[in-house]
Amino acid sequence: MNNMKNNKNMKNALKWAVVLAVVLCLPNIIRNDYWMVVFVRVLINIVLVLGLNLITGLIGQMNLGSAGIYALGAYSSALFVKNTGLSPWLGLLVAVVTGIVIGLVLGYPSLRLKGVYFSLTTIGFTQVVQIFLNNMTKVTGGSQGLKSIAPFSIFGFQFDSYIKSYYLYVAFVLIAIFCAVRIVNSKWGRLYRSLRDNSDAVEMSGINIADVKVKAFIAAAIFGTVAGAMYAHFYGYISPSTYTVDISMNFVLMLLVGGLGSVSGAMFGAVIVTILPELLRGLGNYYLITFYIIIFLGILFFPNGWVEAASRPIKKIIAKRKKEESASGEK
Amino acid sequence: MSTMVFQLLITGIAYGMIYSLVGIEYTLIWNSSGLLNFSHDKLITLGAYIFGGSMIIKMNLDNPIAIVLTLAIMGVVGALLAAGIFNRLYSMRSNIFAIIGTVVLAKIISEFIRLFWGSGNMRVSGWLDKTYFIGGFAITSANIVIIIVAILLVAVLEVFFKFTKTGKAMRCVEQNKKAAALMGININRSICITTALSAMICAVIGFLVIPLVNISATMATTIGLKGFCSGVIGGFGYIPGAIAGGIFIGVVENLATIFIPAVYKDAVSFLLLIVFLLIKPTGFLGKRAQGR
Amino acid sequence: MEKNSILKLTDVTKRFGGLLAVDALNIDVKEHSIHSLIGPNGAGKTTTVNLITGVLPVTSGTVEFMGQNVTGKKTYEIARLGIGRTFQNIKVFQTMTLLENIMVGGNQLTKMGLVRTILDFKGAAGEEKMLREKAESLLDKLGMYHLRNEYMKNLPYGRQKISEIARAMMTDPKLILLDEPAAGLNPSERAELVKVIQQSFEEGFTFFLIEHNMDVVMNLSDDITVLSFGKKIAAGTPAQIRDNDEVITAYLGSAFVKNKEQEGAE
Repeated sequence: MNNMKNNKNMKNALKWAVVLAVVLCLPNIIRNDYWMVVFVRVLINIVLVLGLNLITGLIGQMNLGSAGIYALGAYSSALFVKNTGLSPWLGLLVAVVTGIVIGLVLGYPSLRLKGVYFSLTTIGFTQVVQIFLNNMTKVTGGSQGLKSIAPFSIFGFQFDSYIKSYYLYVAFVLIAIFCAVRIVNSKWGRLYRSLRDNSDAVEMSGINIADVKVKAFIAAAIFGTVAGAMYAHFYGYISPSTYTVDISMNFVLMLLVGGLGSVSGAMFGAVIVTILPELLRGLGNYYLITFYIIIFLGILFFPNGWVEAASRPIKKIIAKRKKEESASGEK
Repeated sequence: MSTMVFQLLITGIAYGMIYSLVGIEYTLIWNSSGLLNFSHDKLITLGAYIFGGSMIIKMNLDNPIAIVLTLAIMGVVGALLAAGIFNRLYSMRSNIFAIIGTVVLAKIISEFIRLFWGSGNMRVSGWLDKTYFIGGFAITSANIVIIIVAILLVAVLEVFFKFTKTGKAMRCVEQNKKAAALMGININRSICITTALSAMICAVIGFLVIPLVNISATMATTIGLKGFCSGVIGGFGYIPGAIAGGIFIGVVENLATIFIPAVYKDAVSFLLLIVFLLIKPTGFLGKRAQGR
Repeated sequence: MEKNSILKLTDVTKRFGGLLAVDALNIDVKEHSIHSLIGPNGAGKTTTVNLITGVLPVTSGTVEFMGQNVTGKKTYEIARLGIGRTFQNIKVFQTMTLLENIMVGGNQLTKMGLVRTILDFKGAAGEEKMLREKAESLLDKLGMYHLRNEYMKNLPYGRQKISEIARAMMTDPKLILLDEPAAGLNPSERAELVKVIQQSFEEGFTFFLIEHNMDVVMNLSDDITVLSFGKKIAAGTPAQIRDNDEVITAYLGSAFVKNKEQEGAE
């Protein structure tokens, strides 16, 4: 029994090691600026979707306000750095604090609102954020946005090229994955899932649901604002037109494609939804409609995510083989 | 001063009527299938393009013929969407899938529009673009037509739901799907009819907003979202609520421009939405609203 | 020797608009006993449970638990004081495994916050081990250990119901409220349920049982309270209740009582 578990752990570790090796070698294989930008975008999206997974994947409340969280993260860090001239690392810290505030503001309404009502509140939140960013011209630069935002640097070493940023952000993503895995696989992850299934029973077990949910929202919002800060300091330019309800929907899409609730699913979804359109660009004018039709068919036919859909036949074969083995063993 | 207030009030009511119609259009689908149709703004856009882009500008048809043809096409589109897609989506285990399904559908429609009509803006000249001066007031023909058409449409819907067999059956489905199915009402057919009806209302909204905004891929995005606001503020899933909520936010956001810069006009509706959700999630007319 | 009371309802009343659902109800549940609440459909039994657990606010009256007034407290606070509960229409976590279901029940026993759970490997593993071992030993006792990794939705209804009792036991409650545990069970599942309750009672748990099935009630109960249209119409030991005409009338209609009298006359 123990042996089998070790074996499984080994296999898992091996899988992750291979993925990490590929990720680290990628810039040397694909020496192309265009693709490097795409890859960095994938990394940023992974961080955000890992947070969204806590709320939408585990607790099961559809958050359509990711764009607002993302925007506030980007702007808070960028404005701080631009106005004080201090290090982007402190800007990142400001983004984290912003995340905590958003979590509190967005978390409390969610306690009382279910289903569609919650989704609509988060949409309202995103719209309000976007309108204010567009019109508070003196602070935010309005629709012109903010330009020349400093990149991250360590002791004078600037992360100013695509490749340098890529490696820095791989480190960010590893930290994000670490936190997400620790949460999802802990008693908290279990509690979140139980809230999705039946909150009455959870409360009767002596759990203060309000408290648990608000903390989950704070955690999720921090992932989102950090992703926002990563965006701002990578591109060096942000404008309100990026943060539409449309991209909120795109983030939920990433979650659905990967399968709700799992860390690897969230990552897989972020990769697919970011990279697939780029791969389809060869189709010219028709690339986006092709992409969305593929995604749409996926939702209709593989509602548990593509990972599950792809691994189902494999699992079946394994189960069958196990059955045969145990049957022959009994003989 | 009072002239300005009156002017804003008329504009507010006209815009409010548009939001009300949006509220009605998605509430119909919500009530029949429990689906929140996030592709509704693209259906409005599609209606506007079929009418303005093809029938009027390209084919130079007379207005009445163009209107009837567009309504017919949109009805068919609605029925097809329901039969092919909504019937499948509403039975999914989680409403997250269903909603995102309609979101992706919206993207597909919007891409289709871009490929078919191009990405430039269009204007339909001679369509509801007169302005009348009565006393000291300037009133656009668009505002007058919007108000009249909206009232007529609501009256027609009322008759349809109260007095026709199909309408009554649809109300049964809204109240209790299981019981309706047991009574021999075909739910899938009911969803088809509702969606067709909803798509036709979208087309009407499309006609009406052409004079207010250019025909473009994103012409209905804000209107669509404000339609959701009107539903929540008036009482979700309840048609009189959607109407009242729509007129309410239309008037409030226009009158608010007296006190705040006009650029924040759009924020008013969404702040109202959030305030209502926090304080009175059932809306001011909502008695049956429930968290789904 | 008179036992101490653990749960005491004094003049508890609940009104829904014009409907008097529970009318000045007095119940006294003794420590280490099985107290049953019976009555026809719509008598207000589940409402009573909801009033005790704070799911519904009482209109008037007080609920005392272990000498402490818990009226108006929030559900989770009442649960923390030591009241566990099962639901009439089971409320289990369908997409989770049996073991996970039970472990959620014990979450309250652990203390580490979100940040510490992320950073403190050893502590988190320790808490997890504690919850797992406790849940496994409970499942073992209830004869469901072999099912621990099955998804809840794949388990038979009877198992799901018993799992709710196990979940309620995770926090070591002083009192467990069972809301119609035998409803929807087949005879063999029902027998198993009685065994589980009996066995847990012997281990020291106190039960407040709401039940329709008279076999279950009469076999298990120390005390019985009978409700009809929100009013207490009788209270006493199973033997006393069995012979109470008012109770029989409430359950079976007055015709049955007359028949019985005639039988007696003959």
